[in-house]
Amino acid sequence: MKKVTVFLLLISINLISLKLVSAQSKAEVLIRNATVLTAAKGTLENADILIKDGKIARIGKNLKASSNARTIDATGKFVTPGIIDCHSHTMMDAVNEFSYSVTSMTRIRDVLNPTDIAIYRALAGGVTAANLLHGSANAIGGQNSTVKFKYGKPIEDFVIPDAPPGIKFALGENPKRTNFNPTPGATPRYPRTRMGVMEVIRDAFVRAREYKKSWDDFRAKKTTVQPRRDLELEPLVEVLEGKRLVHAHGYRSDEHLNLMLLADEFGFKVATLQHALEAYKIAPEIAKRGTGASIFADSWSYKLEAYDSIPYNGYLLWKAGVVVSINSDSNERMRRLNVDAAKMMKYGGVPEEEALKMITLNAAKQLGIDRRTGSIEVGKDADIVIWNAHPFSVYSHAEMTMIEGEVYFDRQQDISKRAELARERETLEKMDINRPPGSGGTPPAIPKEKRQSHLDDADSDKDGGNRR
Amino acid sequence: MKNFILRFYIAIFASFSLGLSINAQTRTETFAITNARIVTVSGAAIEKGAVVVRNGLIEAVGANAKIPADARTIDGTGLTIYPGFIDANTSLGLAAAPAAPQRPVGQVGGGQLAAQTSQPQSNSNYPDGLQPEEYAAGKLKAGEAQFETNRNAGFTTVLTVSRDGVFNGQSAVINLAGDTVSQMIIRAPFAEHFSFTTLRNGQYPTSLLGTFSALRQMLLDAQRLQTLRQVYDKNPRGIKRPETDKSLDALLPILNREMPIVFNANTEIEIVRALDLAREFNLNAIISGGQEAWKVAGRLKAQNVPVLLSLNFPKRTAAASPEADAESLEVLRLRAEVPKTAAKLAQAGVKFAFQSGGMTSINDFLTNANKAVENGLSKDAAIRAMTLSAAEILGVGNRLGTIETGKIANLTVSRGDVFSKDKTITHVFVDGKLFEQKEKPKTTTPATGGTQPAATATVGGTYSITINIPGQPLEGTLSLTQQGEILSGSLQTQLGTTPIKDGKVTAEGFNFTTTVELGGSTFNLDVSGRVTGNQISGTMTTPQGAVAFSGTKTP
Repeated sequence: MKKVTVFLLLISINLISLKLVSAQSKAEVLIRNATVLTAAKGTLENADILIKDGKIARIGKNLKASSNARTIDATGKFVTPGIIDCHSHTMMDAVNEFSYSVTSMTRIRDVLNPTDIAIYRALAGGVTAANLLHGSANAIGGQNSTVKFKYGKPIEDFVIPDAPPGIKFALGENPKRTNFNPTPGATPRYPRTRMGVMEVIRDAFVRAREYKKSWDDFRAKKTTVQPRRDLELEPLVEVLEGKRLVHAHGYRSDEHLNLMLLADEFGFKVATLQHALEAYKIAPEIAKRGTGASIFADSWSYKLEAYDSIPYNGYLLWKAGVVVSINSDSNERMRRLNVDAAKMMKYGGVPEEEALKMITLNAAKQLGIDRRTGSIEVGKDADIVIWNAHPFSVYSHAEMTMIEGEVYFDRQQDISKRAELARERETLEKMDINRPPGSGGTPPAIPKEKRQSHLDDADSDKDGGNRR
Repeated sequence: MKNFILRFYIAIFASFSLGLSINAQTRTETFAITNARIVTVSGAAIEKGAVVVRNGLIEAVGANAKIPADARTIDGTGLTIYPGFIDANTSLGLAAAPAAPQRPVGQVGGGQLAAQTSQPQSNSNYPDGLQPEEYAAGKLKAGEAQFETNRNAGFTTVLTVSRDGVFNGQSAVINLAGDTVSQMIIRAPFAEHFSFTTLRNGQYPTSLLGTFSALRQMLLDAQRLQTLRQVYDKNPRGIKRPETDKSLDALLPILNREMPIVFNANTEIEIVRALDLAREFNLNAIISGGQEAWKVAGRLKAQNVPVLLSLNFPKRTAAASPEADAESLEVLRLRAEVPKTAAKLAQAGVKFAFQSGGMTSINDFLTNANKAVENGLSKDAAIRAMTLSAAEILGVGNRLGTIETGKIANLTVSRGDVFSKDKTITHVFVDGKLFEQKEKPKTTTPATGGTQPAATATVGGTYSITINIPGQPLEGTLSLTQQGEILSGSLQTQLGTTPIKDGKVTAEGFNFTTTVELGGSTFNLDVSGRVTGNQISGTMTTPQGAVAFSGTKTP
């Protein structure tokens, strides 16, 4: 049996971390006698799920597994698909490239950091996959990375290989830098108005169209000198060709509508409107185009341009036929997206399964990964969460989170490893190298972790290059 | 003669000021060190033999080496001769980065490239920090007196390159002796050096994201330039002339694998990123730093990437504070693991050389090499990491790194095993030139074995300061904690609280660097000042210019 070391880190004020060695394999797993919320085909009582080679092999009652299968008794427990967060900046050593208004040449994949503790905390909240986006400081930001949270694995294992590539756009206050002061004396970055933001995007696509033509001409042998490869325009050509998903940050629906009209003009579809807290105003226009909406469950009127947001936004969008997902945009909120989904039942009465889809299958659809994940269906990846209670209860917590049949969070193992970690800490602290220097004063404590801003990302300025 | 007197004066002055006793005479005649233990590195150690040095080269070595009649003989009884030690990454001999251009506030360029190059210091098409053509050998200061501390610690050869910018420029391998730069250089350029960092001043790249995309675009542009040039050179008629671009030109040897690229990378993920880039562009990569290299030893071995391993081990510098959170387990583990890295790399078959990694005192080099030995590295491997392996990685293995006939006469001679605490470096030969170090009388040897600390000012305390930015003075609190020459603490203003870095206390005052975050960008501040009574004053140099600050100590 292949042994896999999984580094688990405990969620606690003390930031005690755990190192857990758990025997795992891609062999069979049988989850027995659970209440299964499939997020596709209703709720199954007393159901079994058989996992083989990381995939869901069978769903039913009284399933038989081979003798070396791991059997998990889930009697009285609830099973859901792994939660998918359609807007996150976790495990990124940089978020915004502030310099230009168009930074489509940047790639989130370059700055992913698989050691971020927030990954483990997200797993403990049942999250198995996320859309990792560039920040919103730029009209056109960088290329996204769609990942599964395979904590403890090398970074290349995180990236979902067949996920369609995406790119971040941003509208409104953040790209026009409304709430951010420029460097003293520096020329403010263009654009400074909402119309300027639209101009920047239009200009970029005009340039991308010309760039595409230069390559088309070259390939058709109309020209002889190979054009320069332009990493800024290449991803925008992919957008024009329908090969790259646009995830557009914005709050005001007039701006989101404007972007969709611009996309109509250039012949592409916007994949998701991100945040979109007043998108109920343009629900039919969104639905007509097959564009998705990825929203916060609340945060109504939390900033000026979100003034017209209402609790019923998600419900109204859903009712109009829009594929809606609920995202976190926050390492902290990411851990309790199940409760955010429950709010959709409260405000307007979205049915339970539809509410669950908003943090699972719908996000998978928006990211183009629904063929492999997002619901509990035969043939899909075994990205599964076992909860102690109904996940829409505030008293519920994830007991076990698995990705492709491998366990990445196990509450019981986490608890049982805490004493061992405390002993390790004690040993390490006694080493000379870890002892404080004997003399000198007491420098002020410097917080180990940068405080995470709650919601919105335009001011995130993590810089991995300068750490350590 | 004048020159000699000047050198004499410099040497005397240096030895006086450093509290060291160095024989002022340097000789290039013929030497024979006899009756010594010889660690040849190329083969087994010779327990008792001689090394003959003539005309800058090793003329003979062995138990029965013939001693020429004209040689000055040094009785090596009780001494051990090693190949001269190599420090595989330093910035020795290079002037500190020039101060940021003094620009009045209000005239700083915006984010666009045109504005970035509005005040060119170079005629490159790229801003400062993205100029791979920066040539360390072209910036070396002449004169060997500047290397005295390093020679005294046993070093004869170093790689040197700037640490500034995304591209640090092309490094040089130099000997730590010679009156002219030409005499010092062994190999230049050796490699291009690259840091996963950003530009300052709000210039692209302002983030690690942009650093990758800027590098990628430059490499692609260089590739294209090369292709266009080939077409043009065959028949220029009817084709627009490819532009000359010295920055892109400097990338061609890297792309063509004629020159390695050294990535400064310490953490596991930084090393992985470097290896991924090397694979993407088929580069001949070297890792510098490599503190967590053991975690990716398999990939380093598979991609045949050597490591210039830093011996600047992480230390706990913060004193205990009852209010501080406990240190994270990751930090505690890192400090315990880093000294084991060398042994793990050796075990995995990854080639590595030691480097000083910007350590405060070069004497920590051998101390920490010994810690690597205590953590499982064989002594032979440790010696090799500062001699032959280093020479091989730096492309000078045919000339340096072993004691063999015909190689450059770089030798380090010690009394006592070089890893023992009571060792003394007695003689250092560089290019056959003897630098003799009189053994210090035992009675006056300081307990630390290091240099006598110079008198330092007393600057610790908390100060209320005013930073005199024209038109908008900024109030703040400067907390300074002094431990000998080392300064730590923080600067607090309405822009936030930032720790101070590289803090030093000198006889006159103090200096440190810190950062401020403004408008979403991070700016570096170089701060220097002095304390008189309870008054503090000094200068903060920002990319926008220098501003004065002053204040008083809070009781």
